[in-house]
Amino acid sequence: MRFTPKYYFFILSILLIASCSSDDNVDKDEEKPTISVNYNEGFPQGCVLLVKGETYNFRAKVTDNKALASYSIDIHNNFDHHTHDDQVTECDLEDIKQAINPLIFIENYSIEDNLTSYEINTPITIPSDIDAGDYHCAYSVTDQTGWQARTSIDIKIIE
Amino acid sequence: MAFSQDSFQIKGSVMNARTLQPIEGANIIGKGIFSISSVTGAFTINNVVKDSCSFIISHIGYVSKTVTVIKKQKMETLLVYLNESSTTLEEIEVLGKSERRVVKETPIVSHTVSKEFLNKNRENSLMQTLSKIPGVSTINIGSGQSKPVIRGLGFNRVSVVQNGIKHEAQQWGNDHGLEIDQYGIENIQIIKGPASLVYGSDAIAGVVDIQPNKIPFHNALNGEVNVLGETNNDLLGVSAAIETRKEKWFYRGRLTYRDYGDYKVPTERINYENYIFELHNNNLRNTAGKEANASFSIGYVSDHITSETFFSNVNAKNGFFANAHGLEVRTSNIDYDSSNRDIDLPFHRVNHFKITNNTSVTTGKHTLHFDLGFQNNHREEHSEPVPHGYMPKPSNSKEREFNKNTYSLNVKDKFKPNTQHDFVTGINVEFQDNNIGGWGFLIPEYNRFTIGAFAYDQFEISSDLHFLVGIRYDYGLVDTESYYDWFPSTINNSDGSTSYVHLQRAQNKTLNFGNISASTGLSYIRKKTTYKLNIGKSFRMPLANELASDGVNYHMYRYEKGNLNLDPEESYQLDIGIDHTTKQVSVGISPFVNFFKNYIYLNPTSNYYETLQIYEYTQAKVFRFGGEIRASTTLFKNLQLDASAEYVFSRQTSGAKKDFTLPFSPPLSGLFSANYQFKKMLFFDKPQFIADYRITAAQNEIVPPEEKTEGYQVLNISLLTEMDLFKNNLPVEMRVKLNNVFNTKYFDHTSFYRLIDVPEAGRNLSISLTIPFNK
Repeated sequence: MRFTPKYYFFILSILLIASCSSDDNVDKDEEKPTISVNYNEGFPQGCVLLVKGETYNFRAKVTDNKALASYSIDIHNNFDHHTHDDQVTECDLEDIKQAINPLIFIENYSIEDNLTSYEINTPITIPSDIDAGDYHCAYSVTDQTGWQARTSIDIKIIE
Repeated sequence: MAFSQDSFQIKGSVMNARTLQPIEGANIIGKGIFSISSVTGAFTINNVVKDSCSFIISHIGYVSKTVTVIKKQKMETLLVYLNESSTTLEEIEVLGKSERRVVKETPIVSHTVSKEFLNKNRENSLMQTLSKIPGVSTINIGSGQSKPVIRGLGFNRVSVVQNGIKHEAQQWGNDHGLEIDQYGIENIQIIKGPASLVYGSDAIAGVVDIQPNKIPFHNALNGEVNVLGETNNDLLGVSAAIETRKEKWFYRGRLTYRDYGDYKVPTERINYENYIFELHNNNLRNTAGKEANASFSIGYVSDHITSETFFSNVNAKNGFFANAHGLEVRTSNIDYDSSNRDIDLPFHRVNHFKITNNTSVTTGKHTLHFDLGFQNNHREEHSEPVPHGYMPKPSNSKEREFNKNTYSLNVKDKFKPNTQHDFVTGINVEFQDNNIGGWGFLIPEYNRFTIGAFAYDQFEISSDLHFLVGIRYDYGLVDTESYYDWFPSTINNSDGSTSYVHLQRAQNKTLNFGNISASTGLSYIRKKTTYKLNIGKSFRMPLANELASDGVNYHMYRYEKGNLNLDPEESYQLDIGIDHTTKQVSVGISPFVNFFKNYIYLNPTSNYYETLQIYEYTQAKVFRFGGEIRASTTLFKNLQLDASAEYVFSRQTSGAKKDFTLPFSPPLSGLFSANYQFKKMLFFDKPQFIADYRITAAQNEIVPPEEKTEGYQVLNISLLTEMDLFKNNLPVEMRVKLNNVFNTKYFDHTSFYRLIDVPEAGRNLSISLTIPFNK
């Protein structure tokens, strides 16, 4: 094979592709935060019964490899059995029913100071004038990179 | 197809005497005889009454041959070898260049896909078929839908053009597939690079240009029926086409119907985060679908005018995986497992209607092309109504509706003042009118008007060296309409009071954009090697959702926020293409380097809105490089080996996700193919065995919220053959294909269902029969 410019061109092009493969010394955050209620004080646990008018401390542990940013708590009804939780327990659900005045709890919070571990501890009072029945409590947490973790727990609100 | 005692039939093949390759389009003319050789060089002359006949076989670039055939008891296939006419070569270059030569001379790095390739490799959707081409991949949504990705970029960064008109649908959407009937396509040109110069906005990463089919020959009446059956999703597909031409008028028509059940994945359960979905008979619940397409065209051809008007309608209904729609896990009372063919909620229905007219007029040194188009894309997404946040339970299942009308006009003048220059000028005008409905809000209603003008010159410095330079200017106007929620949300005011407000999700805004694109390149042909170098600047106008969306996408658990300050996306790219082809070996390499001044994407932030993570449209600088290499060789005459590899590296060099890659980055992937041509066996003509082995590396370069994806290896095999079942007619083509031979469980990083850990389809046996007929 004579080394005509053609072959140099080929080799150059192959080198161009091969050489610049990833220079992964950049410290990128590729880890999601974690969220858990699976400890003694974690609340709510799967299938827990909440009584109207009572105040409960909603507690979950969140961690991240770099820096936590925000979390949210969402309580919505599951009267139509639209989904189930991601916990191991399976709860007895009431019959499907129409929502009249369901509890809608939608709140966001931020976590300051670049913490890598934090315990969510938020008191929530269950109003007395809402529909009793099956509900979901969904926690979610983000880190400063924009990774998110979620968990969802089946709960029941009773009179 | 009468075969009487008195008449006989002549079958033959026309070949290049030197390369032994078939010659397509050779004229076979005798007294009362007229035929043209097909792609395979084959021709048939029917109803020869006399005991002998003679005819002339001619083709531009070859020395004509006169052949005399005498009637025999058993007619053998006639082989005619034509010699290249070297003496007239110079003349031919001026009169008409072969398509291959034209492609070689253009500095734009492109890839031409033939009907033969499409037939050999046909998959469930057009884009899945094309993904065998290095540098082309897809974003799949189930088994029947997919959208094009070129070198890692997709959505609105790839223009799909059909008959000169840009296909306009809801291509920004995650769960949207290309609404084009993949049957009846003869020729596709793929540009893997910025091509705004000719194609305007959106052709920033590349173009899939589905070209008009060839005009049928004089007095031709051809047709075909294709039947396809598949085992994985129990698909049955039928497509039938007919085309005819008298003297100047010609007509074509095609009907396609496909119906398929849920597709099977090689797993019994899907683990998504902490959820476990048990699958019934490995069926991916509720992914069945059906598609019915019809097209018709009428054309006129004379010496100076060619015009074809094309009507088409594509209608499809596809179910979405029932256990998780987007990221949202759902339970339902619907008995999904009672049948694998029913389409329950959630599903979408899409209808795409299109009228296009392509007219070219030749006057002296000018050729004028007019492309006129009207398209209506109507898509509805239905899901079980569920209350979300402050939204009460909606009264019906129609979650989203998009109804978009697009009017297009392209005018192009090709001016060839002398043999050196090809001077092309043109304008593109497009108007879009997008309307929305349903209880979910994602993008606002908008009108969009764009106009662009371009000019380029391809200059022949010498017969082997061509230079192209071109410039374009575009002006665009986007007019978004305001949108308010149909339900009130609870707002806690700072004074302690509570208000109930119908929140505004989109604003009334008029935005305008202007942009210059340009491209310049060189092509140099040296013996068997072609070198190409191209530098281009392309652009993309921001979309209405990127500018003005402000709504909750419950299925993706995110709140999407537009940004009115986005600039038109601008990209610079350097492309190189080298191709070296000899009789035995063909190798090619096509590297590129690309820089985006402002790549627009949906960035997950660390903040919440009503407990949903805020995703904000952001622009960042992006650096990319990569390319494709391919090699093929023919061993022992009958064995052809092909190998190709594709790679893209992307990195954001500014903004919130600096140092991260881009979403949906395809991993390094290689494809090895072996094609063995057997001798005729029984009634199987030209049997071919093809094995495709794909090796894909892991994708560890991800950006939130993606998951890393492991590498995989998949084997597909297929058997192709022709059968002479009907006398006096073209052979029936049969294809038996076995995809994913080992039922391998693997994940495609760019699949829509990847996010919920759904593997790719399992083993699939498909059988396809194409029965051609002609007069």
